[in-house]
Amino acid sequence: MAESIEPIIISVNGTERRLAVERSRSLLSVLRIELGLTGTKYGCGAGQCGACTALLEGRPVRACVTPVSHADGRAVLTIEGLAEEETLHPVQEAFLEAQAFQCGYCTPGMTMEAVALIWQKPRPSELEIREAMSGHLCRCGTYARIIKAIHLAADKMQR
Amino acid sequence: MRAGRRCREAGADGPELTRREFLRAAGGLVVAVSLWPETSAVSAAAAGEDRAGWLRVGEDGRVTVFGPIPEVGQGLRTELAQLAAEELRVPLSSVDVILGDTERVPPDGGICAGSAISAIGPEVRRAAAEAREALAAAAAAQWRVRPEQVQLSEGRAVLISDEGTSLPIGDLARAAARMRRRGRAAVLTPPAEFRVAGRPVPSVDGRSYVTGAAKYTADIRPQGLAFAKVLRPPDLGGRLLSAQARAAASQPGVIAVVEEEDLIGVVASRPEAAERAALGIQASWQEGPPVSGFSLYQDLRASAELESELGSRGDVEAALAAARHGYSASYRTPFLAHAPIEPHAALAMPEDGRMVVHASTQRPFQHRAAVARALGLPEGRVRVVCPAVGGAFGGKDSPEVSAQAARLAQALGRPVLLAQSREEELTRNYFGPAAVIDVRCGVAPDDRIAAWDCDVFNCGSRGALAPYAFENHRVRVHACKSPLPQGPWRGMGAPASAFAREVHLDHVASQLGADPIALRLRHLDDAPRLARVVRSAAERYGWRDRRPPTGLGSGFACAVDAGSSAAVIADVEVERTSGYLRVRRVLVAQDSGLVVNPDNMRNVIEGAVVMGLGFTLREAVRYQQGRILTRSFASYAIPTFYDAPAVDIVLQSDPDRPPQGGGTAALCAIAPAVANAVFDAIGTRLRELPLSPARVRSAP
Ligand code: FES
Ligand code: FES
Repeated sequence: MAESIEPIIISVNGTERRLAVERSRSLLSVLRIELGLTGTKYGCGAGQCGACTALLEGRPVRACVTPVSHADGRAVLTIEGLAEEETLHPVQEAFLEAQAFQCGYCTPGMTMEAVALIWQKPRPSELEIREAMSGHLCRCGTYARIIKAIHLAADKMQR
Repeated sequence: MRAGRRCREAGADGPELTRREFLRAAGGLVVAVSLWPETSAVSAAAAGEDRAGWLRVGEDGRVTVFGPIPEVGQGLRTELAQLAAEELRVPLSSVDVILGDTERVPPDGGICAGSAISAIGPEVRRAAAEAREALAAAAAAQWRVRPEQVQLSEGRAVLISDEGTSLPIGDLARAAARMRRRGRAAVLTPPAEFRVAGRPVPSVDGRSYVTGAAKYTADIRPQGLAFAKVLRPPDLGGRLLSAQARAAASQPGVIAVVEEEDLIGVVASRPEAAERAALGIQASWQEGPPVSGFSLYQDLRASAELESELGSRGDVEAALAAARHGYSASYRTPFLAHAPIEPHAALAMPEDGRMVVHASTQRPFQHRAAVARALGLPEGRVRVVCPAVGGAFGGKDSPEVSAQAARLAQALGRPVLLAQSREEELTRNYFGPAAVIDVRCGVAPDDRIAAWDCDVFNCGSRGALAPYAFENHRVRVHACKSPLPQGPWRGMGAPASAFAREVHLDHVASQLGADPIALRLRHLDDAPRLARVVRSAAERYGWRDRRPPTGLGSGFACAVDAGSSAAVIADVEVERTSGYLRVRRVLVAQDSGLVVNPDNMRNVIEGAVVMGLGFTLREAVRYQQGRILTRSFASYAIPTFYDAPAVDIVLQSDPDRPPQGGGTAALCAIAPAVANAVFDAIGTRLRELPLSPARVRSAP
């Protein structure tokens, strides 16, 4: 049980954080409990719902199954770091425009995955969207709206 | 149904007006228009308590609406804000909506979250209209004119003959609270004149969702917060015999181990520490019954006791005997999990002799009562607040988690968060009831259905009575001994009853060689709203001239639930060899009374279609030897991005009827529409949910 606690250094939303935490702890727990970044959600703890999605060096990861040590020396972007002050990211704007949520609980994870998708594929097809998003669950059933939001966001980002 | 109390069905035409008064409160005008029946707990509790108002106009001009049911994704907050803004002629941005805080809102009267708008909407609308008239009267008194000469606009009272004379409503709030009541109720704004209500305004919560700022229960971080895990009995119950809990207290990060007779909880500085220590506790249990699902439907039937007979008409037995054709069949639906993405959570905070609990629930008042009982406190010393709730679907009634969090917080004298894991969420909660439904139907020589006899086992009476005008009609509802804990699930028993009824009607139509829609329309004399949506679905789809290509079928079904009527047509592609179904397109025509926010209504209907496809195609709780087997999203497979079909919605607004909950009527019609489409495509009649590939393949 006695794990060495050497500090882990992560750039979180552009700010360097030194964290004295167990290396095996999940990135999700560290974000939520140690850093108070509660926009990243717990939905299953097993990589099966996508609610905990954050970007590690620009790639989507399931923070619930990512040991915090994987983020050591790297950059993490969470939903809280997406908007610049009051200006929303185009993906956030698109989700608002399409009203692509009901309870909103899956929204941060969906949003982060969508951001990564558009970075990788600026003009994803509908099938590519379904594929890229397929690891995300929305029990409220807003999938069609999320697909629409991602198309809208891609349009916005082209401009 | 054993667990969970019933939802009061908000009447389609709204409750009666029984009491109306202004309540004086510091700093503004509070309107409590109580429309709950006088005899209900609600009006008794509301009487004389100024915090139980529906609406408040502050001296700062802000309008606050208070509602007992939380926002769970149904769009209630935005729709209530729209109604208040409309009647008070203020911008939407000056309205705040407080929901589900027992200290501040009127009691819930037992209404459901999904149809809350039908019960609360009219209250808020009338309260806002009362406030508008009182504010106008206060301005009139000040200007020494008649109230009719004043109108409200953009948050101000304006003298109609001289627009330069105006006052902000905040300045009038105090005077308005002292206005004498007129003998009549305030005049409501006719829907034809709506400017804010009836429009697709964006959700007032939207920005908080997309920025991650919305606070759900587990996101709240009070000073000194500790994290708890409780020891869980085997899945299906069992009594604790003994536990070795002491050692857990010395585990790293553990603050305390609480041992009370039926509760062992570990409280730690981090959730992982609590979980690890709780896992290490050796406990022995007197196991519950080793139930298995193999003989579920036989067992339900065997344990059945007649609970009620609904709406009997005519002599069913005689009519069945005299019928030219008789068709009978039995239908089955399994236990369902609610599976909201946010699992149950409760945050309990002791505050000198009181307990404040933030809880992910639909029923804050029920939780307050349970917490008070668990702590031995009067209810007045317990406050339950619903923050953002990440979905509920009928599954967040039970107050167990709140009561346990409160007991741990009380024992430690500090804030404690108890949040369920996904596994706990899928195994500790009550489930939506499994059902067996037998239908016997007799057809007269003129091809009218002369007799309809239905026996509903285990899923209760909601939606059991057919909306059709069958001459002889009997529905018997049987209570059964359920092997799993069960309670409300979106629509209660209505989706199961609709599945049986609508598939059976399709069967009868095909046996008679009749068009399934025409057959229904012949029996819809008593349900004009349903008849209208059935016609508009058929028309929009081009039902009469349809020619589905091979392997593709289209199926029809309709239902009435929670005051809404829906007709659904599903296009389904069937891969015969694999048994795999792909639902390509779903058309929904729906009437939900006055539509407060058409875009929200569409969103809710789209969601109902997706959730409906879940239990149509895949969902079923599986259990064996007293253990739930569906413990994760891998084994309890809810719909994904691949399942979302194209959804076409025809909204039939009926502005003269109060708004109705729109989230269940279409949900009821999805499964039968898909099953009927499978029959249309390959001639296979499926009578058991889910319509899994194995069932599609092996059906005769
Ligand atoms: S919480 Fe990480 S994938 Fe579900
Ligand atoms: S909006 Fe509720 S889970 Fe997606």
